[in-house]
Amino acid sequence: MKAKISALMDGELGQHETGAALAALRDEGEARAAWRRYNLIGDSMRAMPMLSEGFAARVAARIAQEPTVLAPARRQRPFAQAPVWALSAAASLAAVMLVGWLAFAPQDEPQLAKAAPQSAPAAEIAQVAPPDTANDYLLAHQGYSPRNSLQGIAPYVRTVSTNTLGARR
Amino acid sequence: MMRGFGLALAFCSGLCAAQPQPQAADGMALLRRIYQATEKLSYTGTFVYQQGERSETSRITRRTGPGGDIERVEVLDGIPREIVRTRDTVRCYLPESQIVKVERRVDQRAFPGVLPAQIADLAQNYTVTRGESRRIAGHDCEAVVLTPKDELRYGYKLWADAGSGMLLKARTVDRKGNIIEQFTFAEFTIGNVPRDRVRASHAAQRWRIEDAAVAPADLARAGWSVNAELPGFRKVTEVTRKLGESRPVGQMVYSDGMAAVSVFIEPMAGRSEAVRPGPSSLGAFQIYTREVANHIVTVVGEAPAASVQRIASQVEYRRPQQ
Repeated sequence: MKAKISALMDGELGQHETGAALAALRDEGEARAAWRRYNLIGDSMRAMPMLSEGFAARVAARIAQEPTVLAPARRQRPFAQAPVWALSAAASLAAVMLVGWLAFAPQDEPQLAKAAPQSAPAAEIAQVAPPDTANDYLLAHQGYSPRNSLQGIAPYVRTVSTNTLGARR
Repeated sequence: MMRGFGLALAFCSGLCAAQPQPQAADGMALLRRIYQATEKLSYTGTFVYQQGERSETSRITRRTGPGGDIERVEVLDGIPREIVRTRDTVRCYLPESQIVKVERRVDQRAFPGVLPAQIADLAQNYTVTRGESRRIAGHDCEAVVLTPKDELRYGYKLWADAGSGMLLKARTVDRKGNIIEQFTFAEFTIGNVPRDRVRASHAAQRWRIEDAAVAPADLARAGWSVNAELPGFRKVTEVTRKLGESRPVGQMVYSDGMAAVSVFIEPMAGRSEAVRPGPSSLGAFQIYTREVANHIVTVVGEAPAASVQRIASQVEYRRPQQ
Protein backbone atom coordinates (compact mmCIF):
# COMPACT_ATOMS: atom_id res chain seq x y z
CA MET A 1 0.00 0.00 0.00
CA LYS A 2 2.91 2.37 0.70
CA ALA A 3 3.97 2.16 -2.92
CA LYS A 4 0.37 2.93 -3.92
CA ILE A 5 0.30 6.00 -1.66
CA SER A 6 3.56 7.22 -3.14
CA ALA A 7 2.19 6.75 -6.64
CA LEU A 8 -1.04 8.53 -5.64
CA MET A 9 0.95 11.56 -4.49
CA ASP A 10 2.75 11.63 -7.80
CA GLY A 11 -0.56 11.39 -9.62
CA GLU A 12 0.46 8.14 -11.28
CA LEU A 13 -2.49 5.97 -10.32
CA GLY A 14 -5.36 5.15 -12.63
CA GLN A 15 -8.93 5.99 -11.73
CA HIS A 16 -9.69 2.60 -10.20
CA GLU A 17 -6.49 2.41 -8.17
CA THR A 18 -6.94 5.99 -7.00
CA GLY A 19 -10.32 5.01 -5.55
CA ALA A 20 -8.78 2.10 -3.63
CA ALA A 21 -5.91 4.24 -2.34
CA LEU A 22 -8.28 6.98 -1.17
CA ALA A 23 -10.43 4.36 0.56
CA ALA A 24 -7.37 3.12 2.44
CA LEU A 25 -6.58 6.69 3.46
CA ARG A 26 -10.00 7.12 5.02
CA ASP A 27 -9.00 5.01 8.02
CA GLU A 28 -6.32 5.87 10.51
CA GLY A 29 -3.61 3.30 9.78
CA GLU A 30 -0.54 2.41 7.79
CA ALA A 31 -1.70 4.17 4.64
CA ARG A 32 -2.59 7.39 6.44
CA ALA A 33 0.76 7.32 8.29
CA ALA A 34 2.60 6.82 4.99
CA TRP A 35 0.64 9.68 3.41
CA ARG A 36 1.64 12.01 6.25
CA ARG A 37 5.25 10.88 6.20
CA TYR A 38 5.62 11.24 2.42
CA ASN A 39 4.06 14.69 2.46
CA LEU A 40 6.37 15.67 5.30
CA ILE A 41 9.36 14.48 3.27
CA GLY A 42 8.09 16.36 0.23
CA ASP A 43 7.51 19.51 2.26
CA SER A 44 10.93 19.40 3.82
CA MET A 45 12.54 18.85 0.41
CA ARG A 46 10.70 21.91 -0.83
CA ALA A 47 11.72 23.74 2.36
CA MET A 48 8.10 24.41 3.34
CA PRO A 49 7.44 25.77 6.81
CA MET A 50 6.26 22.90 9.04
CA LEU A 51 3.03 22.92 11.00
CA SER A 52 3.39 21.93 14.65
CA GLU A 53 3.05 18.27 15.49
CA GLY A 54 -0.49 16.98 15.73
CA PHE A 55 -1.90 20.08 14.03
CA ALA A 56 -4.40 18.12 11.97
CA ALA A 57 -5.55 16.11 15.01
CA ARG A 58 -6.06 19.28 17.06
CA VAL A 59 -8.08 20.94 14.29
CA ALA A 60 -10.20 17.80 13.98
CA ALA A 61 -10.77 17.77 17.76
CA ARG A 62 -11.76 21.45 17.81
CA ILE A 63 -14.21 20.88 14.99
CA ALA A 64 -15.69 17.94 16.84
CA GLN A 65 -16.31 20.15 19.88
CA GLU A 66 -17.93 22.99 17.97
CA PRO A 67 -21.71 23.01 17.73
CA THR A 68 -22.91 21.98 14.29
CA VAL A 69 -24.15 25.03 12.42
CA LEU A 70 -27.26 24.16 10.51
CA ALA A 71 -28.51 26.17 7.59
CA PRO A 72 -32.21 27.09 7.74
CA ALA A 73 -34.05 23.98 6.63
CA ARG A 74 -35.55 24.07 3.18
CA ARG A 75 -39.10 22.99 2.91
CA GLN A 76 -38.74 19.42 1.82
CA ARG A 77 -41.11 16.78 0.74
CA PRO A 78 -41.18 13.98 3.32
CA PHE A 79 -39.66 11.32 1.06
CA ALA A 80 -36.68 13.54 0.23
CA GLN A 81 -35.55 13.51 3.86
CA ALA A 82 -32.11 11.99 4.06
CA PRO A 83 -31.65 9.21 6.57
CA VAL A 84 -29.78 10.17 9.75
CA TRP A 85 -26.77 7.97 8.98
CA ALA A 86 -26.23 9.67 5.65
CA LEU A 87 -26.10 13.10 7.27
CA SER A 88 -23.59 11.96 9.85
CA ALA A 89 -21.49 10.33 7.15
CA ALA A 90 -21.60 13.59 5.16
CA ALA A 91 -20.60 15.55 8.25
CA SER A 92 -17.62 13.37 9.00
CA LEU A 93 -16.57 13.44 5.35
CA ALA A 94 -16.77 17.22 5.50
CA ALA A 95 -14.59 17.17 8.60
CA VAL A 96 -12.04 14.95 6.94
CA MET A 97 -12.01 17.19 3.87
CA LEU A 98 -11.52 20.30 6.00
CA VAL A 99 -8.68 18.71 7.92
CA GLY A 100 -7.19 17.51 4.70
CA TRP A 101 -7.42 20.93 3.15
CA LEU A 102 -5.87 22.58 6.21
CA ALA A 103 -3.09 20.06 6.31
CA PHE A 104 -2.22 20.64 2.66
CA ALA A 105 -2.64 24.36 2.64
CA PRO A 106 1.06 25.18 3.14
CA GLN A 107 1.91 22.92 0.24
CA ASP A 108 -0.54 24.64 -2.06
CA GLU A 109 0.50 28.17 -1.21
CA PRO A 110 3.60 28.53 -3.39
CA GLN A 111 1.67 27.30 -6.42
CA LEU A 112 -1.02 29.89 -5.79
CA ALA A 113 1.61 32.55 -5.32
CA LYS A 114 3.16 31.58 -8.64
CA ALA A 115 -0.12 31.53 -10.49
CA ALA A 116 -1.23 34.91 -9.18
CA PRO A 117 0.98 37.23 -11.27
CA GLN A 118 -0.09 35.44 -14.44
CA SER A 119 -3.76 35.90 -13.75
CA ALA A 120 -3.32 39.49 -12.63
CA PRO A 121 -3.77 41.42 -15.94
CA ALA A 122 -7.37 42.44 -16.35
CA ALA A 123 -7.54 41.51 -20.02
CA GLU A 124 -6.31 37.98 -19.38
CA ILE A 125 -8.60 35.27 -20.68
CA ALA A 126 -8.58 31.71 -19.38
CA GLN A 127 -6.00 29.70 -21.28
CA VAL A 128 -6.68 26.40 -22.97
CA ALA A 129 -4.13 23.61 -23.34
CA PRO A 130 -1.80 24.19 -26.30
CA PRO A 131 -2.57 22.18 -29.48
CA ASP A 132 -1.39 18.55 -29.32
CA THR A 133 1.04 19.20 -32.14
CA ALA A 134 2.16 22.60 -30.85
CA ASN A 135 5.81 21.73 -31.36
CA ASP A 136 5.22 21.20 -35.08
CA TYR A 137 3.82 24.74 -35.29
CA LEU A 138 6.77 26.15 -33.32
CA LEU A 139 9.30 24.39 -35.52
CA ALA A 140 7.52 25.56 -38.67
CA HIS A 141 7.46 29.10 -37.28
CA GLN A 142 11.07 29.19 -36.16
CA GLY A 143 12.48 29.06 -39.69
CA TYR A 144 11.02 32.52 -40.36
CA SER A 145 11.89 34.18 -37.07
CA PRO A 146 14.08 37.29 -37.43
CA ARG A 147 15.90 35.98 -34.36
CA ASN A 148 17.79 33.59 -36.65
CA SER A 149 19.73 36.44 -38.23
CA LEU A 150 20.72 37.57 -34.75
CA GLN A 151 21.48 34.20 -33.15
CA GLY A 152 21.87 31.66 -35.93
CA ILE A 153 20.07 28.42 -35.12
CA ALA A 154 20.32 28.81 -31.33
CA PRO A 155 16.62 29.89 -31.11
CA TYR A 156 15.63 26.49 -32.52
CA VAL A 157 16.23 24.92 -29.10
CA ARG A 158 13.17 26.66 -27.70
CA THR A 159 10.85 25.22 -30.31
CA VAL A 160 11.31 21.66 -29.17
CA SER A 161 12.01 22.40 -25.57
CA THR A 162 9.18 20.50 -23.95
CA ASN A 163 8.84 17.01 -22.64
CA THR A 164 5.65 16.49 -24.61
CA LEU A 165 7.80 15.94 -27.67
CA GLY A 166 8.80 12.34 -28.23
CA ALA A 167 6.39 11.16 -25.56
CA ARG A 168 3.69 11.94 -28.05
CA ARG A 169 4.48 9.14 -30.42
CA MET B 1 20.27 60.79 -21.25
CA MET B 2 23.36 62.30 -22.87
CA ARG B 3 25.23 62.05 -19.62
CA GLY B 4 24.30 58.39 -19.29
CA PHE B 5 25.45 57.77 -22.82
CA GLY B 6 28.69 59.61 -22.17
CA LEU B 7 29.29 57.61 -19.03
CA ALA B 8 28.61 54.36 -20.81
CA LEU B 9 30.97 55.39 -23.57
CA ALA B 10 33.68 56.39 -21.10
CA PHE B 11 33.19 53.14 -19.18
CA CYS B 12 33.29 51.15 -22.37
CA SER B 13 36.31 52.79 -23.86
CA GLY B 14 38.11 52.10 -20.58
CA LEU B 15 37.16 48.45 -20.77
CA CYS B 16 37.76 47.94 -24.43
CA ALA B 17 40.85 50.07 -24.87
CA ALA B 18 42.83 46.99 -25.83
CA GLN B 19 40.39 46.05 -28.60
CA PRO B 20 41.49 47.12 -32.05
CA GLN B 21 37.90 46.92 -33.44
CA PRO B 22 36.14 50.20 -34.05
CA GLN B 23 33.91 51.31 -31.21
CA ALA B 24 30.22 51.08 -32.10
CA ALA B 25 28.92 54.61 -32.02
CA ASP B 26 25.37 53.78 -31.00
CA GLY B 27 22.91 50.94 -30.42
CA MET B 28 22.01 50.54 -34.08
CA ALA B 29 25.65 50.20 -35.10
CA LEU B 30 26.22 47.56 -32.43
CA LEU B 31 23.13 45.71 -33.63
CA ARG B 32 24.53 45.69 -37.17
CA ARG B 33 27.79 44.31 -35.84
CA ILE B 34 25.90 41.46 -34.16
CA TYR B 35 24.11 40.58 -37.42
CA GLN B 36 27.40 40.56 -39.30
CA ALA B 37 29.15 38.43 -36.68
CA THR B 38 26.29 35.90 -36.72
CA GLU B 39 26.67 35.61 -40.48
CA LYS B 40 30.45 35.60 -40.77
CA LEU B 41 31.96 33.86 -37.74
CA SER B 42 33.01 30.24 -37.23
CA TYR B 43 32.70 29.27 -33.60
CA THR B 44 32.01 26.59 -31.02
CA GLY B 45 30.26 27.29 -27.75
CA THR B 46 27.92 26.21 -25.01
CA PHE B 47 24.85 28.20 -24.08
CA VAL B 48 22.07 27.93 -21.55
CA TYR B 49 18.46 28.59 -22.54
CA GLN B 50 16.20 29.67 -19.70
CA GLN B 51 12.46 29.98 -19.93
CA GLY B 52 10.18 29.92 -16.90
CA GLU B 53 11.60 27.28 -14.61
CA ARG B 54 13.24 25.43 -17.47
CA SER B 55 16.94 25.67 -18.06
CA GLU B 56 18.69 23.71 -20.81
CA THR B 57 22.27 23.59 -21.96
CA SER B 58 23.11 23.23 -25.65
CA ARG B 59 26.27 22.99 -27.67
CA ILE B 60 26.43 25.09 -30.82
CA THR B 61 28.95 24.93 -33.66
CA ARG B 62 29.09 27.06 -36.77
CA ARG B 63 31.47 26.69 -39.66
CA THR B 64 31.72 29.18 -42.47
CA GLY B 65 33.76 28.57 -45.54
CA PRO B 66 33.89 27.87 -49.25
CA GLY B 67 31.95 24.61 -48.81
CA GLY B 68 28.98 26.60 -47.54
CA ASP B 69 28.03 27.58 -44.02
CA ILE B 70 26.92 24.79 -41.70
CA GLU B 71 25.55 25.17 -38.23
CA ARG B 72 24.71 22.53 -35.68
CA VAL B 73 23.11 22.70 -32.27
CA GLU B 74 22.79 19.80 -29.90
CA VAL B 75 20.62 19.98 -26.80
CA LEU B 76 22.49 18.36 -23.91
CA ASP B 77 19.78 18.30 -21.23
CA GLY B 78 16.55 16.34 -21.19
CA ILE B 79 15.20 14.77 -24.38
CA PRO B 80 18.11 14.53 -26.84
CA ARG B 81 17.70 16.42 -30.09
CA GLU B 82 19.91 17.95 -32.67
CA ILE B 83 19.41 20.57 -35.36
CA VAL B 84 21.68 20.91 -38.36
CA ARG B 85 21.36 23.71 -40.87
CA THR B 86 23.08 23.78 -44.22
CA ARG B 87 22.74 26.57 -46.76
CA ASP B 88 19.10 25.97 -47.54
CA THR B 89 17.93 23.08 -45.36
CA VAL B 90 17.23 22.67 -41.67
CA ARG B 91 17.09 19.13 -40.28
CA CYS B 92 15.82 18.42 -36.80
CA TYR B 93 16.87 15.00 -35.46
CA LEU B 94 14.75 13.43 -32.73
CA PRO B 95 16.56 10.21 -31.74
CA GLU B 96 13.96 9.03 -29.22
CA SER B 97 11.14 8.97 -31.73
CA GLN B 98 13.53 8.28 -34.64
CA ILE B 99 12.22 11.13 -36.74
CA VAL B 100 14.04 13.65 -38.90
CA LYS B 101 12.07 16.79 -39.67
CA VAL B 102 13.32 18.42 -42.84
CA GLU B 103 12.59 21.94 -43.98
CA ARG B 104 13.95 23.51 -47.16
CA ARG B 105 13.93 27.22 -47.71
CA VAL B 106 12.05 28.41 -50.74
CA ASP B 107 13.23 32.00 -50.90
CA GLN B 108 16.76 32.60 -52.05
CA ARG B 109 17.64 34.66 -49.04
CA ALA B 110 20.76 33.43 -47.29
CA PHE B 111 20.29 32.12 -43.80
CA PRO B 112 20.81 33.68 -41.31
CA GLY B 113 21.30 36.89 -43.33
CA VAL B 114 19.48 40.04 -42.38
CA LEU B 115 17.50 42.13 -44.86
CA PRO B 116 17.65 45.92 -44.94
CA ALA B 117 13.84 45.92 -44.57
CA GLN B 118 14.19 43.99 -41.34
CA ILE B 119 16.50 46.64 -39.87
CA ALA B 120 14.13 49.39 -41.01
CA ASP B 121 11.13 47.65 -39.38
CA LEU B 122 13.09 47.18 -36.21
CA ALA B 123 14.11 50.83 -36.02
CA GLN B 124 10.49 51.84 -36.54
CA ASN B 125 9.07 49.65 -33.77
CA TYR B 126 11.79 49.82 -31.13
CA THR B 127 13.92 52.49 -29.54
CA VAL B 128 17.46 51.18 -29.84
CA THR B 129 19.95 52.39 -27.24
CA ARG B 130 23.22 51.28 -25.72
CA GLY B 131 23.17 49.49 -22.37
CA GLU B 132 25.76 48.97 -19.69
CA SER B 133 28.80 46.93 -20.62
CA ARG B 134 29.53 43.80 -18.63
CA ARG B 135 31.59 40.66 -18.65
CA ILE B 136 30.03 37.42 -19.93
CA ALA B 137 31.75 34.03 -20.36
CA GLY B 138 35.12 35.65 -19.86
CA HIS B 139 34.56 38.34 -22.49
CA ASP B 140 33.93 42.05 -22.16
CA CYS B 141 30.54 42.68 -23.71
CA GLU B 142 28.72 45.72 -25.02
CA ALA B 143 24.97 45.91 -24.61
CA VAL B 144 22.14 47.12 -26.81
CA VAL B 145 18.61 47.64 -25.51
CA LEU B 146 15.50 47.43 -27.70
CA THR B 147 12.62 49.17 -25.98
CA PRO B 148 9.26 48.59 -27.71
CA LYS B 149 7.40 51.73 -28.78
CA ASP B 150 4.02 50.18 -27.91
CA GLU B 151 2.59 47.28 -25.91
CA LEU B 152 2.27 44.98 -28.92
CA ARG B 153 5.79 43.59 -28.54
CA TYR B 154 8.36 42.52 -26.01
CA GLY B 155 11.60 44.32 -25.15
CA TYR B 156 15.08 42.90 -25.69
CA LYS B 157 18.51 43.29 -24.19
CA LEU B 158 21.47 41.92 -26.09
CA TRP B 159 25.10 41.63 -25.03
CA ALA B 160 27.79 41.16 -27.68
CA ASP B 161 31.48 40.37 -27.36
CA ALA B 162 33.26 43.71 -27.72
CA GLY B 163 35.99 42.11 -29.79
CA SER B 164 34.05 40.02 -32.31
CA GLY B 165 30.49 41.33 -32.12
CA MET B 166 29.24 37.83 -31.36
CA LEU B 167 25.99 37.76 -29.39
CA LEU B 168 26.70 36.17 -26.00
CA LYS B 169 23.52 36.91 -24.13
CA ALA B 170 19.97 37.70 -25.26
CA ARG B 171 17.11 38.48 -22.93
CA THR B 172 13.44 39.00 -23.78
CA VAL B 173 11.36 40.98 -21.28
CA ASP B 174 7.69 41.93 -21.04
CA ARG B 175 6.28 45.39 -20.25
CA LYS B 176 6.79 44.86 -16.52
CA GLY B 177 10.39 43.79 -16.92
CA ASN B 178 9.68 40.09 -16.28
CA ILE B 179 12.08 37.86 -18.18
CA ILE B 180 10.28 35.86 -20.87
CA GLU B 181 13.34 33.91 -22.01
CA GLN B 182 17.10 34.17 -21.99
CA PHE B 183 20.07 32.73 -23.89
CA THR B 184 23.48 32.95 -22.21
CA PHE B 185 26.78 31.57 -23.45
CA ALA B 186 28.84 29.83 -20.79
CA GLU B 187 31.88 29.55 -23.03
CA PHE B 188 32.76 30.04 -26.69
CA THR B 189 35.74 29.88 -29.00
CA ILE B 190 35.98 31.67 -32.34
CA GLY B 191 37.55 30.18 -35.40
CA ASN B 192 38.72 26.97 -37.03
CA VAL B 193 35.91 24.44 -36.77
CA PRO B 194 36.70 21.05 -38.38
CA ARG B 195 34.06 19.82 -40.81
CA ASP B 196 33.10 16.76 -38.78
CA ARG B 197 32.10 18.98 -35.88
CA VAL B 198 29.11 20.28 -37.80
CA ARG B 199 27.93 16.89 -39.09
CA ALA B 200 24.82 15.33 -37.60
CA SER B 201 25.78 12.67 -35.06
CA HIS B 202 22.96 10.40 -36.24
CA ALA B 203 23.05 8.33 -39.40
CA ALA B 204 19.25 8.27 -39.19
CA GLN B 205 19.02 5.79 -42.06
CA ARG B 206 15.88 4.01 -40.92
CA TRP B 207 14.32 7.01 -39.31
CA ARG B 208 11.07 8.44 -40.52
CA ILE B 209 11.58 11.57 -42.58
CA GLU B 210 8.99 14.30 -42.24
CA ASP B 211 9.61 16.69 -45.10
CA ALA B 212 7.76 19.97 -44.70
CA ALA B 213 7.53 20.28 -48.51
CA VAL B 214 7.48 24.05 -48.32
CA ALA B 215 6.19 25.78 -51.44
CA PRO B 216 5.53 29.45 -52.19
CA ALA B 217 1.84 30.30 -52.10
CA ASP B 218 -0.65 33.07 -52.61
CA LEU B 219 -3.12 32.53 -49.80
CA ALA B 220 -4.89 35.80 -50.55
CA ARG B 221 -5.88 34.40 -53.92
CA ALA B 222 -7.30 31.38 -52.17
CA GLY B 223 -9.48 33.78 -50.17
CA TRP B 224 -7.50 34.16 -46.96
CA SER B 225 -6.46 37.45 -45.49
CA VAL B 226 -5.58 39.12 -42.23
CA ASN B 227 -8.02 41.96 -42.36
CA ALA B 228 -6.34 44.66 -40.32
CA GLU B 229 -2.71 43.84 -39.81
CA LEU B 230 -1.18 44.47 -36.42
CA PRO B 231 0.59 47.87 -36.32
CA GLY B 232 4.29 47.43 -37.00
CA PHE B 233 3.91 43.86 -38.26
CA ARG B 234 4.36 43.26 -41.97
CA LYS B 235 3.76 40.09 -43.97
CA VAL B 236 7.21 38.68 -44.77
CA THR B 237 6.31 35.39 -46.38
CA GLU B 238 3.47 33.02 -47.24
CA VAL B 239 3.84 29.36 -48.07
CA THR B 240 2.04 26.05 -48.08
CA ARG B 241 3.72 23.26 -46.18
CA LYS B 242 3.16 20.09 -44.26
CA LEU B 243 3.07 19.93 -40.49
CA GLY B 244 4.19 16.72 -38.83
CA GLU B 245 3.50 13.68 -40.95
CA SER B 246 1.01 14.73 -43.53
CA ARG B 247 -1.20 17.66 -42.59
CA PRO B 248 -1.09 20.28 -45.35
CA VAL B 249 -1.35 23.84 -44.07
CA GLY B 250 -1.02 27.40 -45.26
CA GLN B 251 1.37 29.64 -43.34
CA MET B 252 1.62 33.43 -43.37
CA VAL B 253 4.41 35.07 -41.38
CA TYR B 254 4.25 38.60 -40.00
CA SER B 255 7.28 40.33 -38.51
CA ASP B 256 8.18 43.62 -36.86
CA GLY B 257 11.89 43.14 -37.49
CA MET B 258 12.59 41.42 -34.20
CA ALA B 259 9.56 39.25 -33.39
CA ALA B 260 7.53 37.09 -35.77
CA VAL B 261 4.00 35.74 -35.69
CA SER B 262 2.88 32.85 -37.90
CA VAL B 263 -0.69 32.27 -39.02
CA PHE B 264 -1.38 28.61 -39.84
CA ILE B 265 -4.52 27.68 -41.75
CA GLU B 266 -5.58 24.06 -42.17
CA PRO B 267 -8.78 22.37 -43.26
CA MET B 268 -10.92 21.00 -40.46
CA ALA B 269 -11.80 17.88 -42.47
CA GLY B 270 -9.65 14.86 -41.73
CA ARG B 271 -8.20 16.22 -38.51
CA SER B 272 -7.84 13.56 -35.88
CA GLU B 273 -6.74 15.55 -32.84
CA ALA B 274 -8.98 17.69 -30.70
CA VAL B 275 -9.32 21.40 -31.47
CA ARG B 276 -9.30 23.67 -28.44
CA PRO B 277 -10.21 27.20 -29.48
CA GLY B 278 -8.75 30.01 -27.40
CA PRO B 279 -5.42 31.29 -26.16
CA SER B 280 -2.66 28.97 -24.99
CA SER B 281 1.09 29.12 -24.60
CA LEU B 282 4.07 26.85 -24.95
CA GLY B 283 7.34 28.05 -23.52
CA ALA B 284 7.99 31.60 -24.66
CA PHE B 285 5.42 31.32 -27.48
CA GLN B 286 1.86 32.54 -27.35
CA ILE B 287 -0.73 30.62 -29.35
CA TYR B 288 -4.30 31.41 -30.35
CA THR B 289 -6.60 28.90 -31.99
CA ARG B 290 -9.93 29.61 -33.67
CA GLU B 291 -12.23 28.24 -36.31
CA VAL B 292 -12.83 30.16 -39.52
CA ALA B 293 -14.90 28.84 -42.42
CA ASN B 294 -14.38 25.14 -41.69
CA HIS B 295 -10.68 25.70 -41.16
CA ILE B 296 -8.56 25.79 -38.04
CA VAL B 297 -6.55 28.97 -37.69
CA THR B 298 -3.60 28.68 -35.31
CA VAL B 299 -1.57 31.80 -34.65
CA VAL B 300 1.83 31.27 -33.04
CA GLY B 301 4.14 34.07 -32.04
CA GLU B 302 7.05 35.37 -30.03
CA ALA B 303 4.88 38.28 -28.96
CA PRO B 304 2.53 39.14 -26.09
CA ALA B 305 -0.69 37.12 -25.93
CA ALA B 306 -2.83 40.15 -26.83
CA SER B 307 -0.88 40.70 -30.09
CA VAL B 308 -1.22 37.06 -31.11
CA GLN B 309 -4.92 37.16 -30.34
CA ARG B 310 -5.39 40.39 -32.31
CA ILE B 311 -3.87 38.87 -35.41
CA ALA B 312 -5.96 35.71 -34.94
CA SER B 313 -9.17 37.72 -34.64
CA GLN B 314 -8.50 39.44 -37.98
CA VAL B 315 -8.07 36.30 -40.06
CA GLU B 316 -10.84 36.22 -42.64
CA TYR B 317 -12.00 34.05 -45.51
CA ARG B 318 -13.83 35.40 -48.53
CA ARG B 319 -14.77 33.12 -51.38
CA PRO B 320 -12.39 34.07 -54.18
CA GLN B 321 -14.05 35.66 -57.22
CA GLN B 322 -13.78 33.58 -60.35
